[in-house]
Amino acid sequence: MESNRKETWLQLLFAGCAALCILSVALICWFLFANGLPAIVEIGPLNFLFSTDWSPSQGQYGIFAMIVGSICLGLGAALFGVPLGVLTAIYLAYYCPKKLYGPFKSAIDLLAGIPSIVFGFFGLVVLVGWMQKVFVGSSGKGILCASLLLAIMILPTIVSVSENALQSIDPSFYEASRALGAGHDHTVFFVCVPAAARGIGTAIVLGISRAIGETMAVIMVAGNAAILPTSILSPVRTLTTGIVLEMSYASGLHRQALIAMGTVLFILILIMNIGFFKTRHQKG
Amino acid sequence: MKSRKTTLQKLGAAALVMMLSGCSQSQPASSSASTISVLSREEGSGTRSAFSELFQLEKEGQNLIVPDAEITNSTAVMMATVSQNPNAIGYISLGSLNDNVKALAIDGVKPSVETITDGTYSISRPFLIAQKEGVQNALADDFKAFILSSQGQKIIADAGYVPAGDLGEWANAGISGSLSVGGSSSVTPVMEKLAEEYQKQNDQAEISVLQTDSSTGASSTAQGVYDLGMLSRQLNDEEKSQSLTSTPIAQDGIALIVSQDNPVDGLSKSQVQEIYSGAITDWSALN
Repeated sequence: MESNRKETWLQLLFAGCAALCILSVALICWFLFANGLPAIVEIGPLNFLFSTDWSPSQGQYGIFAMIVGSICLGLGAALFGVPLGVLTAIYLAYYCPKKLYGPFKSAIDLLAGIPSIVFGFFGLVVLVGWMQKVFVGSSGKGILCASLLLAIMILPTIVSVSENALQSIDPSFYEASRALGAGHDHTVFFVCVPAAARGIGTAIVLGISRAIGETMAVIMVAGNAAILPTSILSPVRTLTTGIVLEMSYASGLHRQALIAMGTVLFILILIMNIGFFKTRHQKG
Repeated sequence: MKSRKTTLQKLGAAALVMMLSGCSQSQPASSSASTISVLSREEGSGTRSAFSELFQLEKEGQNLIVPDAEITNSTAVMMATVSQNPNAIGYISLGSLNDNVKALAIDGVKPSVETITDGTYSISRPFLIAQKEGVQNALADDFKAFILSSQGQKIIADAGYVPAGDLGEWANAGISGSLSVGGSSSVTPVMEKLAEEYQKQNDQAEISVLQTDSSTGASSTAQGVYDLGMLSRQLNDEEKSQSLTSTPIAQDGIALIVSQDNPVDGLSKSQVQEIYSGAITDWSALN
């Protein structure tokens, strides 16, 4: 009896912890929508989402340029980060000699532990300098530079989630393929990787979400001009950096508009995740 | 196995080389080496509003600074960016200036404490501390008295700003308590020095200096979050209506900065205005 009662109590405790998780998500949703939606209605949803004129001092609140900026950086980071990350994961899972595995793995874990402000400073001092040398005459800051930096930042996520997916497929897949006469490379790329496609997909979605949500590093290398980008060297302002730049002094409708930007960002990431998990379920 | 691995490595190396060489080839032919990279501060910055006012970049409430100017909310990022890029131009508080960047002469006058004091360098604005009317705070009053005393004003002069006046010697009255001072990132460095010296003299007091920006300094002081607000511009009408009063503590110059590698040493006031409004986009157009 005694132990039974203890078990019930502990179960309740765990259920409470889980409920706390859901509660905080619910509270954040409530805050974002309760504060953001009135501003969107006041500004006009079409005007808010599709106007490119962002000048709060004159009452113009169009965030289209920032939505485009966020999407550009998300895609840019994926363009560089996904191939690099997935190939690294394949190397770690199938090609890496045992002696090298430890150092590689801990280096990647270390990369995940570096604070984003440090990445930002690295980008500002090193990457921006390189960009100026490669693209003579440009300021160095912009979509390309921020994408490269974000690609490095999302590597640990992509590598570790993809590698887990690759490690957890049934070893008989590999053995069967080899037994049928396929080589190591052929087996890895045409049997193992497709078998882990779901997990790799999750890794990519998580990586892009992180890139879109990143702020402190981006603010230092993206140039932050609230305009529609015209080339890969154009400065961009993302939804996150837009909020950080102005939140400290915004008041009234301006402040609400910034919270509404947070709402839009939240919805953007929600759509991406739901879209991905929907297609995943249909396949499975 | 082994041979396969090396083939893969070779392939990888080849791909890397191709990528790198591709990068350098895709250099845009249109951009010449001397396009001006314009840097500015965020809208809430006191330095930005003082700068816009001094160079007539504000017209009927409309800000004329080019929309594709790079924006940063930090003096440190502004200086790091300018010091690395020979084509960049930015503006900072004179007190933050160091040898990593070059300050431009405006209409032939280099910014310095002397040229601001004698009025030849006209690009300057006051540093203020704001206080809410009717709030009794003995420590805040004593700290203010210290800032305006000869000890405080000496610290201000040593930091590279122009003192606002001198109310004579300050004597420690031993007032205890804690005080929060917050606002302009331009005023913060000198305020930290003042707070440090004050606490050395009066060890009963604890002063925390919080860096945000001028507009936050004013609004948070009005809301009672800060006991004293720091501003690097005058109070605007909306802020005055929230029963804030201000006291000037120093005069600060705004320095236009370029990289040490930039051959330009000075600009005229109208040239700065044309660069920031987008009428001049290339360094070669200045000759």
